[in-house]
Amino acid sequence: MDFLLSYLVLAEIYVLLGLSTNLLVGIVGIFSVSQAAVFGVGAYIVAFFLMNTSVSFLPALAVAAICCVVLNIVVTLPSLRVSGDYFVVTSFGIQLLATAVFTNWTGGTGGANGLPGIPPPDVFGIQLASNAQLALLTSIMAGLGCIAFWLLMRAPFGRLLRAIREDELAVAAAGKNVLRAKVSAAALAGAFAGVSGGLYATFLSFIDPSSFDLDASILLLTMVVVGGARTLAGSILGPFVLLALPQLLSLVEIPTTIAAAARQLVYGLLLIVFMLFRPQGLLGEKL
Amino acid sequence: MSAPYLHVSGINKRFGGLQALNDCSFTIREGAITCLVGPNGAGKTTIFNAITGFLRPDSGQVEFRGRRISGLSPQTIVAAGIARSFQNLRLFAEISALDNVLVGMRGQFGEEPLSALFRPLKTAHAQAARRITGREILDQVGLLAQADTLVRNLSYGEQKLLTIARLLATKADLLLLDEPASGLSAGALAALMALLRRLQSAGKTLLVVEHNTRVVQQIADDVLFLHQGHLMAQGTPEAIMADPALAEIYFGGALQDHGP
Ligand SMILES: Nc1ncnc2c1ncn2[C@@H]1O[C@H](COP(=O)(O)OP(=O)(O)OP(=O)(O)O)[C@@H](O)[C@H]1O
Ligand SMILES: [Mg+2]
Repeated sequence: MDFLLSYLVLAEIYVLLGLSTNLLVGIVGIFSVSQAAVFGVGAYIVAFFLMNTSVSFLPALAVAAICCVVLNIVVTLPSLRVSGDYFVVTSFGIQLLATAVFTNWTGGTGGANGLPGIPPPDVFGIQLASNAQLALLTSIMAGLGCIAFWLLMRAPFGRLLRAIREDELAVAAAGKNVLRAKVSAAALAGAFAGVSGGLYATFLSFIDPSSFDLDASILLLTMVVVGGARTLAGSILGPFVLLALPQLLSLVEIPTTIAAAARQLVYGLLLIVFMLFRPQGLLGEKL
Repeated sequence: MSAPYLHVSGINKRFGGLQALNDCSFTIREGAITCLVGPNGAGKTTIFNAITGFLRPDSGQVEFRGRRISGLSPQTIVAAGIARSFQNLRLFAEISALDNVLVGMRGQFGEEPLSALFRPLKTAHAQAARRITGREILDQVGLLAQADTLVRNLSYGEQKLLTIARLLATKADLLLLDEPASGLSAGALAALMALLRRLQSAGKTLLVVEHNTRVVQQIADDVLFLHQGHLMAQGTPEAIMADPALAEIYFGGALQDHGP
């Protein structure tokens, strides 16, 4: 039971993060491979406030969200200058830079050893210590995230973003401000990533750079591809499927020394198989 | 005398070693259908780009209704009342015909995230009204039946009409059409010419790039003849077609008649 709850909490956290990635990569077509870095910044900020100050969880989460909005706008800005494939390379650089900071800024992030002992979230004076309480919190947050995504996508804003992915120049010719729409999308994606980072830090109570590295960014993209790009259903399904895999693998008798490698192997295979044979994912559209 | 409707003066644009626009100047009259003709590579698309803010000319300026618009962004120029189509259409292929038109409409509630998130009901209401307007626009160009069809499933002729519908959605008064008739069947061509005349009667001013001399003769009030980035002549279709020097450039191998 507890095991199922913690699976649920983690999956819901990744649903929020998946929505962020889907918005940027799926809907607008800004192919970012550095979303895990933004997620990490959200996690470290919330951890910092809860460990070092008397600021409670929700205000800390709000600060993390705002910082990630700004950060995501900044890291997405190059996509306004360099297009498509070139941005992937830029974004790759941003991810490596972030990992270097997470690993080496020992004073702030605890470096490679990570930050242990992050207190559980407190909401309106109540410490959410049990997995059931946490599941309630993440369910509410993920639910709000899904509603927000749905509202955005059915509004003219969503249509504008889809049009931008197809042909920016034509959108400009229609008299629209492409820059503003892209910055708005980056801001929203940043807020989603920041909130999910904060939830992640308090749920695990321990964070280290390995959760926010390039592998993590690729895992996120795999979630979007497997679940299905550009749809709400796909963004929800992807994390649930991919996070179930390690559990299934643990049922198979494999030595713990190669468990992590086996997991990466399966993720990589999934990504390839889906891109080749089912690019629309389980419940989405072709990326 | 009042200022000309659109006044292009002394535009120069060089791409590396190529002088694409060379002291290009002309005016167009309000309410007229003006055809822009000239051989391939004459600079027709480039002058469209310069007028609509997609290209910054090296020198020269554009005035629209007496107001200087050169240097403004494409967005501001659309808001000022000029919209352009693209020779290669540039439709949004993965969304419906109606959605393509809706993207073209200006000032929509719910087009930025905060109103979409926090005023969902107002957004939905405003959208419902927009969809009605969008269908009316599709009806004007004869595509109402295809409103919910994905653009990639439309025929080429339908796609060309849709580019005009998308322009109409902007409510611009001056429409720049880059080869709207090329590649159309005889039937589609007739429908297009009828549509252009209807737009003219509805008060639009049209600047149309057109290769087919028969189409030019049928729809143009004025003709602009562009050659090597320079305006060689401006006049009625009859006067331009009758000029032997222009005919030499026009038919002297520099241009194939694309018409049926
Ligand atoms: N962005 C650019 N960079 C370099 N050269 C360009 C660019 N745009 C246009 N040109 C060149 O400028 C010249 C004029 O091109 P333009 O597209 O305006 O011609 P056009 O009159 O529209 O011809 P067509 O009838 O083939 O459409 C051509 O020689 C073209 O190759
Ligand atoms: Mg051209």
